[in-house]
Amino acid sequence: MRRIAIVEDEPAIRANYSDALRRHGYEVVTYSNRPEALAAFRTRLPDLALVDIGLGDEVDGGFTLTRELRALSATVPIIFLSARDSDFDIVAGLRLGADDYLTKDASLPHLAARIAALFRRSELLNAPPATEDIVERGPLTLDVKRLTADWQGKRVDLTLTEFWMVHALARHPGHVKDRDALMRDASIVVDDSTITSHIKRIRRKFLALDPGFDRIATVYGMGYRWGE
Amino acid sequence: MKLPRIALSIRAQLLLVLTVFLALPWLGVEYVRELERVLRDAQERTLAGTAQAVATALHDRARLFATPPDPIASFARERADDRAPNGASLPPSASPEIAQIIAGLSRTTARIWVIDREGTVLARAGSLRPPSTPPPAESAWARIGRATMGRLYKAFLDQPSDDFSDDAATLGAPRGRDVEGALAGILTTDRRPTSDGRAVIVSAAHPVWVGDQVRGVVVAEETGNAVLAERNRAFERLFNIVLAVLLIGSLALTAYATWLSGRIRRLRDDAERAIDEQGRMRAPLASSGAGDEIGDLSRSFSSVLARLAEYASYQEKMASRLSHELRTPIAVVRSSLDNLKASSLPAESRVYMARAQEGLTRLTQILTRMTEAARLEQSLCDVEPVRFDLVPVVTGCVEGFRLVAPGAHIAYAAPAESVFVQGAPDLVAQMLDKLMANAVEFAAGAAIVVRLELDGPAVRIVVDNDGPLLPTGMEGRLFESMVSVRPSGDAKEPHLGLGLYIVRVIAQFHGGEASAANKPDGTGVVVTVTLPRATE
Repeated sequence: MRRIAIVEDEPAIRANYSDALRRHGYEVVTYSNRPEALAAFRTRLPDLALVDIGLGDEVDGGFTLTRELRALSATVPIIFLSARDSDFDIVAGLRLGADDYLTKDASLPHLAARIAALFRRSELLNAPPATEDIVERGPLTLDVKRLTADWQGKRVDLTLTEFWMVHALARHPGHVKDRDALMRDASIVVDDSTITSHIKRIRRKFLALDPGFDRIATVYGMGYRWGE
Repeated sequence: MKLPRIALSIRAQLLLVLTVFLALPWLGVEYVRELERVLRDAQERTLAGTAQAVATALHDRARLFATPPDPIASFARERADDRAPNGASLPPSASPEIAQIIAGLSRTTARIWVIDREGTVLARAGSLRPPSTPPPAESAWARIGRATMGRLYKAFLDQPSDDFSDDAATLGAPRGRDVEGALAGILTTDRRPTSDGRAVIVSAAHPVWVGDQVRGVVVAEETGNAVLAERNRAFERLFNIVLAVLLIGSLALTAYATWLSGRIRRLRDDAERAIDEQGRMRAPLASSGAGDEIGDLSRSFSSVLARLAEYASYQEKMASRLSHELRTPIAVVRSSLDNLKASSLPAESRVYMARAQEGLTRLTQILTRMTEAARLEQSLCDVEPVRFDLVPVVTGCVEGFRLVAPGAHIAYAAPAESVFVQGAPDLVAQMLDKLMANAVEFAAGAAIVVRLELDGPAVRIVVDNDGPLLPTGMEGRLFESMVSVRPSGDAKEPHLGLGLYIVRVIAQFHGGEASAANKPDGTGVVVTVTLPRATE
């Protein structure tokens, strides 16, 4: 049974999340503060950690905990869960090695879907790819099962949200995907400017591999399009 | 009753106050008049004294008055006087003895007569005209003064003149009121103008007693010129001083008032500059270090504005803070509802479940909107401006809206050429999104016109829609955070009054500005965003 650690200072949310995840068949352990969680992680690593950024008195306790957890294990999937949704927090969280970032607006089914996807990704990372799960668009290869993206044969390190956005765009090249469609496909509820910064981050990741990358076109007033 | 308000600058007010000093010349005039009166009295007393002194020397010397007058000699003398030029030397005296006595008493500017009861001149000494002396050497200043102020004074002050016609010298012995009084035995003084009116002659007559009979009269005469000259000199000096004081005083006061009103004006300008038309703090007011009331005013202005700025930023940040605080309880409600949904619910409870989730969705939407502005402001810090063509961005947005809102009639006009702007196309698209959403909502199916207009170094994005007008006075405030003019009805979407605030923030980021106004014909509203064009 997979073991999920929830580090969250709000008891009601902690209880609700653990109930929901238990219903999905996971084993759940909960911690209300950073030292307690860290002590537990030292004795036994969870299979996935759900971490709130603000932990009690520690405003950035979640960030600190992520750094400490990453030091203990490079592969444990970590999802940030926070009331904050500023770009700064998202970027900081992802840079510290979190695999995904969700605001607390996300519904429990969404959360469960993400957790399942992350497990699938880490599980299948080393298994041979099955051709039916591969989407190929020129130099872009998307493995829908393992949720990985490759550009010109090189791995693009995308978060789940980013992967789903790229997937939504690349599945129908040339079609304009508006912001609502992207949000639906990436199962996130954010506002327009957050979509914009997500797209910006995706572009930057591709540009780091290929300075000539220009496949994601902005169609002002409508949305985005994957160019062939 | 309301009095009309007169706008007077501080300078004008102080100058008005200065008119109080105009009482000074009046006081001076009164003083000089008093001085003149005293001088005249003194002159009369002196003349009376002279007449008395002469008379004292002649009292009880009946012999001197015994000689009958010689009409022929008198006539001859008068003829001689006629021929003689004005101010001629003394005519021969009818009584040499008396002439001898009074010769010692003659003064330079006084004339003494001794006449008998019949009015026959027994003796005469002195002249009314002073001996002519060359004018004293004048300094350059005095000359300038005489040329300017002197002329002015001459215009309204009586000037003493030695060029008068002396009646007595030509017509013989004086026969004034004073002589009659003296003949009646009383010391009498008199003043009379000369026949040509150019001078006043002051005279005193004293009776000469022989026994208890008045046998003759001593008359002492003098012109009023000396007094007049003295008075004029006093006048001139007084006026010079008063004028100088007034001039220096008004110059000093004007300078002071200029300085004072300059400071106040500077304060006013600073205070006006501190807040822009939309009531947003531009720059804090530098408080003055001056210790006076204007310094105090400047400091209290500064602190008021600082508090206003704090309040404004509090108001702008409140939305994001509030949304942050609300997220956690909403997460509790949402996760509880999600858990509840997962358990088997009776059918009648499902309705309430659906409603609760609908409400929650709306609440989340509100929170998202609330943070949008704050997030936008935050993200502006790390936007790297690029040079981009505005036309395809606006065109794309308009076309996008035509798709999203098929019921809206959107007309669109843009220049054929490229219009380059320095900034972020994403942000401009976001701004247009807000503008269009507003217009579509207010137009409610009526016509919307979007125009891209070139205006010299700037480009205007004009969104013009038919529909309800803006309430008066709201044109400037519309672009503030959390200000909405929508009727609070059962709107499907929450309205927080942040849309146009976002428009303003983005316009300002691009160095432009946003404004809203009712159309002149009253059919709707025009929102204009002016952006500077990028240089080549």
